[in-house]
Amino acid sequence: MRELFRMVFVLTAICAGAALVLAYANKATQPAREYQLLKYVQGPSVKKVLKGYDNDPIKDVIEVSMGKDEKGQPINIKIFPGKKGGKMIGLAYSSSAQGYHGQIEVMVGVDMNGTITGISIMRHSETPGLGARVVEPAFTNQFAGMKLSGQLNLSARGGKIDGVSGASFSSQGVVSAVRKALQLFPKVKKEVS
Amino acid sequence: MAAVVREFTKGLWKEVPPFRLVLGLCPTLAVTTAAKNGIGMGLATTFVLVCSNLIISILRNAIPKKVRIAAFIVVIASFVVIVELMMQAYFYPLYKILGIFIPLIVVNCIILGRAEAFASKNSVLPSIADGLGMGLGFTMSLTLLGAIREILGNGTVFGIHIMWESFQPFGIMLKPPGAFICLGLILSIMNWISSRQRSH
Amino acid sequence: MSEYLLLIVSAIFVNNIILARYLGNCPFLGTSNRMDTAIGMAMAVVFVITLSSATTWIVQEYILKPFDLEYLQTIAFILVIASLVQLVEMFLQKSIPGLYRALGIFLPLITTNCAVLGVAVLSVESHMSFIKTLVFAFASSVGYGMALVILTGIRERSATSPIPVHLRGTPLGLITVALLALAFLGFAGMVK
Repeated sequence: MRELFRMVFVLTAICAGAALVLAYANKATQPAREYQLLKYVQGPSVKKVLKGYDNDPIKDVIEVSMGKDEKGQPINIKIFPGKKGGKMIGLAYSSSAQGYHGQIEVMVGVDMNGTITGISIMRHSETPGLGARVVEPAFTNQFAGMKLSGQLNLSARGGKIDGVSGASFSSQGVVSAVRKALQLFPKVKKEVS
Repeated sequence: MAAVVREFTKGLWKEVPPFRLVLGLCPTLAVTTAAKNGIGMGLATTFVLVCSNLIISILRNAIPKKVRIAAFIVVIASFVVIVELMMQAYFYPLYKILGIFIPLIVVNCIILGRAEAFASKNSVLPSIADGLGMGLGFTMSLTLLGAIREILGNGTVFGIHIMWESFQPFGIMLKPPGAFICLGLILSIMNWISSRQRSH
Repeated sequence: MSEYLLLIVSAIFVNNIILARYLGNCPFLGTSNRMDTAIGMAMAVVFVITLSSATTWIVQEYILKPFDLEYLQTIAFILVIASLVQLVEMFLQKSIPGLYRALGIFLPLITTNCAVLGVAVLSVESHMSFIKTLVFAFASSVGYGMALVILTGIRERSATSPIPVHLRGTPLGLITVALLALAFLGFAGMVK
């Protein structure tokens, strides 16, 4: 009986000690880990879409609340600011829309006037060789210099963007994601100023 | 003091894992596609080995025999989680390369083996020396194997090109067959060396 | 249906758990000297990996995720695996002694087989559903068993051949595995 009690006690004590140490380690490393995740996962896209900055957009990330979703949970989005000499010259943030095979996540870079400086496809599940070709510069470069207007649409719908042939759903998905991002821009600009 | 030094040095040659003490093969074969990865994995394993040897040695008289394996696993796994968190926070690219082999440190037979065979029966200082020696020996072995595979498979070592211009790398060295062959040949060389030592 | 078939073919041939993913080496070489030990090990592996992957999936989905404890994944999984093996051993000893005797000492040994923890971590990392995880775990462990049996067959034959003294035992075993891995490399690219 004594032996059983001792076994249980020792194991519980070791587990409790381990739990405490690990909870502390988790808390202590959280900021560093989040930064690394942003730097390596979103960093490359952010760097591609912002132009002419001299800061570290990842370090200067601003988290902005954009209201609540249907479950009442707050929606937060991360804005990566590009600054030159301390002054904000551009913002990068991600947006997503339905493609052919699921959501396409797009990182959009805009200058302070709402003109697109660049887009980069971050995540998609489109068909290789067809819809997946939306990631190619031949498609994404078309968006630079555009504002939220009638021109920001596929040429099939009266706009100026040539879609990837044979992949109209995927191309439209990207266009929708970019339009969604630009629609949010006035609110985003207000929150970060 | 001499005894402590002896515990340290045995891990560096006489009982070096994984070449003499044939344990911990999985990470050895998997991560040694480059010398740098070998060092990273080796040092992470050394950290867990030394820390767990230390704690287990301190607690060796408090842990009842029947639950010792379970207790060892909790201690070792905790240090592995700490290593995981620290790598995610400060060495993210290396963390991505080593992948699932970082959590697999917890089932690395070297660590559980040393806990059972040594740390649970010896005092703190020799246990630390044992862990440090084995860990550094493991690191050296991984780095050596990583360097060999990197040179033959990529023409570089630590990212620096050292082979001649027209050298065509043996891509197969970076894949599983290359790993198994290299390790097999190294083990046979070790056998040859120790049989020569014995005959002298 | 076809995606399950693809999953199975991929797990057994293209991404064979030992010959392509490097998981489960130590017992692989240790038990491939005789056919009966190899078969015992293969059965034990299939049994434990399938069962433990199912259990760890449940733990991940219903305990770790809801409580934000995903950083404890490693320690939670290994404890689950160790306890599961212990429980299974006790259960088999009482209820199906035939199977218990057939599996022998390999059951407790499997706790430290990195293939078990490896497959568990791989399946939760790929965010697979429960059914897919079961199929993946079963197929992966069958691939392991298959590679093990093939290797044992070869090693049993080569044991009677003249081999240079320094290559005997583990070194030759590793080189044989290398050739086996080379053969399986031919399956690469079969499944995207």
